Amino acid sequence: MDDVTSNFDLVLSAFWLTIQLALISGLASLVLGTLLAAMRVGPVAVLRRAAGVYVNVVRNTPLLIVFLFVFIAIPNVGYLTDTPFLLKGVIALTFYTSAFVCEALRAGINSVPLGQAEAARAIGLTFGQNMTNVVLPQAFRAVVPPLASVLIALTKNTSVAAAFGLLEATARMRGFTNNNADDRLLIFATFALGYIIVVELISLGAFGLERRWKAAR
Amino acid sequence: MARVRRMTVQQDREINAATGQPLVVLEKVNKHFGALHVLQDIDLSIKRGEVVVVIGPSGSGKSTLCRAINRLETIDDGSITLDGQPLPAEGKALANLRAEVGMVFQSFNLFAHKTILENVTLGPIKVRGVKKADADKRAMELLERVGIAHQAQKYPAQLSGGQQQRVAIARALAMDPKVMLFDEPTSALDPEMIKEVLDVMVELAEQGMTMVVVTHEMGFARTAAHRVVFMADGAIAEENTPHEFFTNPRTARAQDFLGKILKH
Amino acid sequence: MRIHRLKLAAVAVGLSTALAACGDAGSSGSSDTPDVEVQEDAASQFEEGSRMAELAESGEITIGVKYDQPGIGFKGATDDAPVGFDPEMGKVLAASLGIAPEDITWKETISDNREPFLQEGEVDLVIASYSITDERRAIVGQAGPYYVTGQQLLVPTDSEIETIGDVEGTEVCSVTGSTSLDNIEQEGATPRGFDTYSECVDQVLNGSIDAMTTDGAILLGYAAEAPDDLKVVVEPFSEERYGVGYSSDSPEMCQWITDTITAAEEDGTWAAAFEATLGQSGVETPEPPAMDECAAA
Repeated sequence: MDDVTSNFDLVLSAFWLTIQLALISGLASLVLGTLLAAMRVGPVAVLRRAAGVYVNVVRNTPLLIVFLFVFIAIPNVGYLTDTPFLLKGVIALTFYTSAFVCEALRAGINSVPLGQAEAARAIGLTFGQNMTNVVLPQAFRAVVPPLASVLIALTKNTSVAAAFGLLEATARMRGFTNNNADDRLLIFATFALGYIIVVELISLGAFGLERRWKAAR
Repeated sequence: MARVRRMTVQQDREINAATGQPLVVLEKVNKHFGALHVLQDIDLSIKRGEVVVVIGPSGSGKSTLCRAINRLETIDDGSITLDGQPLPAEGKALANLRAEVGMVFQSFNLFAHKTILENVTLGPIKVRGVKKADADKRAMELLERVGIAHQAQKYPAQLSGGQQQRVAIARALAMDPKVMLFDEPTSALDPEMIKEVLDVMVELAEQGMTMVVVTHEMGFARTAAHRVVFMADGAIAEENTPHEFFTNPRTARAQDFLGKILKH
Repeated sequence: MRIHRLKLAAVAVGLSTALAACGDAGSSGSSDTPDVEVQEDAASQFEEGSRMAELAESGEITIGVKYDQPGIGFKGATDDAPVGFDPEMGKVLAASLGIAPEDITWKETISDNREPFLQEGEVDLVIASYSITDERRAIVGQAGPYYVTGQQLLVPTDSEIETIGDVEGTEVCSVTGSTSLDNIEQEGATPRGFDTYSECVDQVLNGSIDAMTTDGAILLGYAAEAPDDLKVVVEPFSEERYGVGYSSDSPEMCQWITDTITAAEEDGTWAAAFEATLGQSGVETPEPPAMDECAAA
């Protein structure tokens, strides 16, 4: 354990990478997932179908395989070899998580009464304005709890990156346990606590949003 | 005093409506819901300034007719024109057309996450590109007119049904529509709130708004309508002035319908 | 009963070596490992109640080795048993207990589970490129070293990395959590951990990463597989002393392991094992290292 306490800066920098992965991928997934959800409920048949195929393929693929694809298969045919590893990690995590964001949001969109969208259309809003001003804001409120779950899963999923060149919390933990076989349990506990703190911050944020939005209606 | 003034305004309008150009024209409109033929060869022409009340038993297609006019329902064949322009199929053009047609729903459909004021200003700001300050000013005038100005900062759920429906009317008016569609605007209201909504509608009619009103409120039809359209089984069974229709219905279906609703 | 079984085992050894010799006419590969002489009536040679006597009596032993390190310990998906220098050492130790190679149960150990496997009795020995460290010796026994290697770099043949000083600012991969990765991080390189060495080699080959680092022996194996694309550079900049891990509940095993391997070093078995495994990559057979003294039991 002395090794961990005297190298605590390494623990912190590892968790900082975990947080960066979760934060950047989380934001990117929200954007991409929202676009996909809009495509899935939108009026253009081709886009509706494309988004449906994307979600089905990605949701049915294990995250590890998505990582293998981005980090090994694609570089082996000559692409992404100069792409920074952090960006590759964000690409893999976003690709995967956005499918879940899309489905959570679609459930939220379906929970918004049809009359809301009809009223918006009746005053002349286009599909895009309808989505951004009327449907999605209400859908987001309905899906804060499931979206928080998706983001929490994303945070823990960042640990897959440990096996793909990114020295995030799990990778650093494996380094410490390898060097300190006598202190495994404490090292596990320390890093588990780190994850719990990060996840708890997300939960608190979600809870705060939920409360604020509940007051505002 | 008020009664006298109303009569003169109405007389003016009757002259107007009689001589006005057709604003909404439906020709041979048909629509099916599966095997159900909900609109059958509907021909209807509504003049500028005219107030048309559509009545009929439930399931007669009157709501579908109303919703078809701003294409919330698509039609299978026939044509609908607004101010001489056929309804666009979709996209920006359709959105532009809808901006010209105000719509009031049975269940109000106020935007639940926006304040009363924001409900009224959303269309002008997003669709018409009006500056927020101007939109707010105009919205407050409209809310004043429907008697809700003091509740502008509240959310829809904090208002009674009658208040919400009056806001919905203000929201539609904020777009300066050429025609207003009312789809059973009082059916979801408690009885004591019906009058406050009807009063707003009567005032609107007096000011010369072109209106298509689907309703069961026969009192409104008698006082405010120029023409009553009676629908049954997806077709227009009879149309006439309110006075003629209520005192001397010609078809058996209309007699039967009036007999049922006027009995008690 | 026990004798009967031993006889059967001896017959099986004879048979399998004969078969191996038959099928081995033209090939020289992993099956071409030296035979080990299985000690007969081994149990009686150990003090009663010792772990060695128990194992010899049971006629079975479970040994943890690596499955993903060519030359050291490697098992392909379709192979029956792992091959490499570590399994060879395992066979030598088993033979001294009267246990034939076929009766050894091999178990894959990865870096993370070597100590837990020993502590929980999941395996009897760990011979898995298991560097001797004080931290490890605090919770498990480690006898050795039976092999000493050092960390080096595997780079593309056209790489500009020549000395250890050149790695600063480059990206260097190895297995996630390994000591090699820690060492290279301290040299100023960005460490990139992967699950397996083969994924790491892929990254060097496809140009995503500048170099791979781990014990030189493993790197030589990969360089031998692609001599046109890869080369091993840099003088060894760490010393890794591979030891045999055993449970700290059985300290008596230390002396046995030390004696058995020392004997193998002296009679040429060690050198034969090296030539059949790590030596395949072209590296010269080194002098066997001197084993550490066991602490007084």
